[in-house]
Amino acid sequence: MTTIAGSLMRSLGAVAQSMVQATPMALRGVSQGLAARAMPSSATWTPQVTSVRHRYHADKLKRGPLMKNYGYEDKLHTKGLMPHMVHGKRLPIPIYRPKNSWSEKRALFGQNDYIDILGDGSLKPTDVAYSVPYWLRGFKGNEYQMLLRKRKFFHNKMGQYQPTKLTELNKRIHKLYVHLNQKTKDYYWHKA
Amino acid sequence: MLDSSVPLILDEKFVNARNVVAAREAWVETLDTNTSDVGMITLHPDVFSVCPRMDIIHENVVWQRKYKMVSKAHTKTKPEVRGGGRKPWPQKGTGRARHSSIRSPLWVGGGVTHGPRAFTTQFYMLPLVTRIHGLTSTLSAKFAQDDLKIVESLQMASDEPGYIEKLCENREWGPSVLFVDDTDLMPRNITIATDTIQHMNLMPVYGLNVYSMLKHSTLVLTVGAVRRLEERILYHLNRPDLTKANATPFKKQN
Repeated sequence: MTTIAGSLMRSLGAVAQSMVQATPMALRGVSQGLAARAMPSSATWTPQVTSVRHRYHADKLKRGPLMKNYGYEDKLHTKGLMPHMVHGKRLPIPIYRPKNSWSEKRALFGQNDYIDILGDGSLKPTDVAYSVPYWLRGFKGNEYQMLLRKRKFFHNKMGQYQPTKLTELNKRIHKLYVHLNQKTKDYYWHKA
Repeated sequence: MLDSSVPLILDEKFVNARNVVAAREAWVETLDTNTSDVGMITLHPDVFSVCPRMDIIHENVVWQRKYKMVSKAHTKTKPEVRGGGRKPWPQKGTGRARHSSIRSPLWVGGGVTHGPRAFTTQFYMLPLVTRIHGLTSTLSAKFAQDDLKIVESLQMASDEPGYIEKLCENREWGPSVLFVDDTDLMPRNITIATDTIQHMNLMPVYGLNVYSMLKHSTLVLTVGAVRRLEERILYHLNRPDLTKANATPFKKQN
């Protein structure tokens, strides 16, 4: 036993000795005192020490901010003027298209309005008001008067091609007659 | 085109002008870039040197906008809205408010009681005298502010739009120009030139109006148009039945 142990120790010591002799600086973290102590007793085993440097802060930054309150929508604005945000997008508004002030209709607006003064007197402004439907030229009245006029102009054609519409027109006229003559008063300062 | 060596002086001794207000004088130009002024013309004071009444001009503009207006805004009343014939729930027992139809004006989607109805017109006629004074006020204001130019005739050398644009720019005739002639058949060249330019328009004398005169910066009248305008306005101002014509209510059609 002692011979084996002795031979083992001897071999180990020889290895240690050779290691120390070969690379005296390779043993990192081992103090000189320890190395010196190892040399005389060449039978002891010195562990290989490697030091590891931890970069805790750098790794933390690499991981990023810690996710807290997952799924919580932080409503920052709760008072005052609120932005119109739906799913984070602004509400759609129509594209601004400025109207053409000098289109033919707008550039010549009002032409022939003084034709009875500046013409020869045979034509009146209502005779040349082509933008107004012909049954409304020179007319002003309330709904009842307007419907009466419409019936006067169109009852023939409506009776032929739009009988339901004519019926509805008659019903509305009758209803307005009853309302204006039996349900409301005619004040001198306010006409129906 | 007249002989340019003899100056054109259209000096008219107005018979029906009051001597208190002096007759105005204006240059007569041509639509020719080479010549500047051809002559001089006297303008009747009762048409072109009236103290402009801003309220009358405003009345005229409002009338021009309103009298042809037709509002087609329309809302349905309770019986016209689709549905609503059945009583939604019994009168008593449910604990809810009592209702007879889902289209009553109290309900969302129900009929509108006093809303706009179909064709609403704002037709009315201004008195004749107010309209005449509107014309004279506007013409006087335009003349006083150097926005009234008198031109011998609307004959032009070229039918290019660039020609008339450059002419107006050189003479500092405002961005928008209204050319007024005696007849409604205008010369060929100016018709083609101003066809594509939207802010330069042609008009006969009978089409002249307060709104157009205010919309266009510069008003260019021919000599014939000036004389026709004066004749027409003075006829109406001096006719013996003016008060009767002014007071007669405007007869509606049919």
